[in-house]
Amino acid sequence: MKSGEPALVLEDYSFWFKPPAGQPEGPAALVDVSFEIGAGDFVLILGRSGSGKSTLALNLVGIYPDYFGGRNQGRMLIRDPERGLINRRELAAAERFRRVNMLFQSPEDQIVTLTVEEEVGFALENYLFEPPEIHRRIDRALDLVGLTGFRERQMLQLSGGEKQRVALAAMLALEPSVLILDEPTSNLDPAGTADVLTTIDRVRARLGLTVLVIEHEVDEVFDRVDSVLLVEDQRVLGPFTPRQFIEERGLYVRDEMGLWIPQAAEVALELRAQGIDLGTVPLNGDELVAAVEAQGCAIPFAARVPRSSPRTAKAPPPAVIEVQDVSFSYGDRQVLTGVTCTARRNELLAIVGQNGSGKSTLASLFNGIAQPDSGVVLVDGIPTVDYDFAQLAKRVAHIFQMPEKQFVRNTVYDEIAHGLRALELSEAEVDERTVEFLKTVRLLDRREASPYVLSHGQKRRLSVAAMVVGQPEVVVLDEPTFGQDYYQARNLMRLLRQLADDGAAVVFITHDMRLVAEYADRSAVLCDGEIIFDGTPSGLFAAGEVLERARLKPPSVYEFAARLLKEPVLTTPALIEIIQEEIRG
Amino acid sequence: MARVELSFKKGDSLFHRMTPFSKLLLVLSVSFVAIFNTNLYVGAGLFVFCVVLAVFFTGVPVRQYWALGRIILPFILILAVVFPFFYGGQATVGSDTIALRTPIKDLSWAALGFGALLALRFLALATAGLAFAFTTHPTDMVQNLSRRGWDYRLVHAPVLGLVLFPSFLELGREISITQRIRDLGQNTNWFKRKWIRMRHLTFAMLVLGLRNGQTQAMALDIRGYGAHKTRTFMREVPKHRGGEIFAWVFFVLSVIYLIYEFNPATMQWNIER
Repeated sequence: MKSGEPALVLEDYSFWFKPPAGQPEGPAALVDVSFEIGAGDFVLILGRSGSGKSTLALNLVGIYPDYFGGRNQGRMLIRDPERGLINRRELAAAERFRRVNMLFQSPEDQIVTLTVEEEVGFALENYLFEPPEIHRRIDRALDLVGLTGFRERQMLQLSGGEKQRVALAAMLALEPSVLILDEPTSNLDPAGTADVLTTIDRVRARLGLTVLVIEHEVDEVFDRVDSVLLVEDQRVLGPFTPRQFIEERGLYVRDEMGLWIPQAAEVALELRAQGIDLGTVPLNGDELVAAVEAQGCAIPFAARVPRSSPRTAKAPPPAVIEVQDVSFSYGDRQVLTGVTCTARRNELLAIVGQNGSGKSTLASLFNGIAQPDSGVVLVDGIPTVDYDFAQLAKRVAHIFQMPEKQFVRNTVYDEIAHGLRALELSEAEVDERTVEFLKTVRLLDRREASPYVLSHGQKRRLSVAAMVVGQPEVVVLDEPTFGQDYYQARNLMRLLRQLADDGAAVVFITHDMRLVAEYADRSAVLCDGEIIFDGTPSGLFAAGEVLERARLKPPSVYEFAARLLKEPVLTTPALIEIIQEEIRG
Repeated sequence: MARVELSFKKGDSLFHRMTPFSKLLLVLSVSFVAIFNTNLYVGAGLFVFCVVLAVFFTGVPVRQYWALGRIILPFILILAVVFPFFYGGQATVGSDTIALRTPIKDLSWAALGFGALLALRFLALATAGLAFAFTTHPTDMVQNLSRRGWDYRLVHAPVLGLVLFPSFLELGREISITQRIRDLGQNTNWFKRKWIRMRHLTFAMLVLGLRNGQTQAMALDIRGYGAHKTRTFMREVPKHRGGEIFAWVFFVLSVIYLIYEFNPATMQWNIER
């Protein structure tokens, strides 16, 4: 339903944050931004962490400068249904949010009422809609997001994906011209992500809404979008068509800017760099398969053993944690039932499953945060219940999803030194090792800063460093790469690999199947509180029934590799190598 | 995540049909009488009155009251047991005859009655408060009070409180777990460790709570909260004439009783003395 007319136009738009009282204004946070977005377009906003993506989005909505202050210059034109393209300043402040609205990253942070109906109707009431119209719009919005029948449900009882869809319905009920989605799927499991993306597709098809989405994980959205905006050093480049963007900047944004790019495009671009040109760069698996076929390869290739990691073939290393027939409940709600699993030295174990399947609860049993109702959890053969909690916590380091919750000191230096002082080392030794660790995690220049003022990537590195400084036997991480770009995620996973190679057992909880494929030695799948799979990632992705039951989805590379080869591979380098050999004969 | 137990329970009882304002009037009347009453029999009568209201006129199963009541029951029992030892004639709720001899202090019937009065006071408050919470849809309260001239942003605050409170509790729980994991206050004595942890918990919750609050505030703003001085309401507020008359009658009776209680000639706490 594209009209070809612009929905949002920025002309030489710049923005400066409001300086703290008595201090001079800093450099511009957005510099001379100019672009035009067509009505009904679906636009992806890309940029590394801290590049200004969220600042741009908050300016488009009007949170900056209307709400948080700051100074802007240049023009921002927005399509008004009655008046056409008008300067945003011509709209009354209260009306601006109705034209351009925004969905935040975490559904929890935007819930303001108790039931679905109230949540969707809340904005309509504030904008003085009459009750019959409010009820009509609630029904329509819930229908659009596929939640008809949820009107009277309690918000707190919904899953993460459902909450995000309710938040989306609340925006849609206002019928905005432009909707901005800030990493709408980053907190969701694969099923929740698929639900939200399908909903966005449906909404666009039916309403012709202009949608701008900020995303790190681009595999699912790249071939859906009409154009791409790249935010780099406070400037905005584009819009580019997705293919133009990948053709011109694909490997540059991955290697130099540290951003994720679609795996199909990554394969083609790497092959091109090695002298094999597949023609137009594919954006999805279908296009890649067609491009390889066009090279004269018979699809699928002849049967061959995939280049799976040799570490999976080794004898199982010794177990540090043994979970034996464990059940656990919160009051009346059974969370884990008869769970048996192990975490072994030198191994990266991925625990996967839907939101609410019991992953975090299982991890909390490892270091005694929680104790099972029945069954036993052994650490080095001793039940966790027999350990002193502080001693067990030193052996089993647990790193939460949100690093801020983990900080206990006022400076970055003290955060690291805290763990070393617990080992009763001399102050000189504490200092020497702290500095060494700060260098490793690239935070030496921030040693006197408060941990709370670091960037998200820095906070994550600090939280990991602070927990592993005491050389624990087990490291447990909840969503280690949450909200991180390609570089940050890769560096962190390399650090975890290093810890495992040095003898630790590393357990990570994740929704990111790409991470499981690339780094996990073993994966355990939780579904409704039970372990329904425990084996290698390749075994997991081949187990269609398990994937279906746990509503998981293999990474893109696995799916298109399965069509190209008789046996699929888990990583892009492995696939590139095979295609290269096949094409070169 | 912790669940909000103090939530509205759907129903069609007398209490459900009363306007939130009538119920508020009733609950406030009960509260003031309970707080300022010095007569054991009135205290007992008020508690029985609240229980009858809760059981027969709210349509909410007794177990729902018990689920929350059992949390505050230990506190009420402590009041009933401890405060008799501090009785100094604050209320005439029994004779001066010694009823119970203990190693700490001999307790008169008046002292025991004083403990019972305190317990009844809080039981009445809790029962009335829960009856209100279980039968009053938060949005109805916002609507009812804002139609009476209150700023809707102000009266929406309790609703926000209900929404945010579980997340806030969860945040505190996670930070406490972190403190244990990282052994904050290591190598210090119990008291100092508790002090260090409490200080850190306060600071971390303040920082993170403010940050979450900021996002919440943006979410409210984006949805037009405060865009206009008033707002519409999609729900129709329940109305029950009989219930309203009942609330006003109780209010008037409460005022009369409180005037009696505060009359220098009859009041037991002689302020001038």
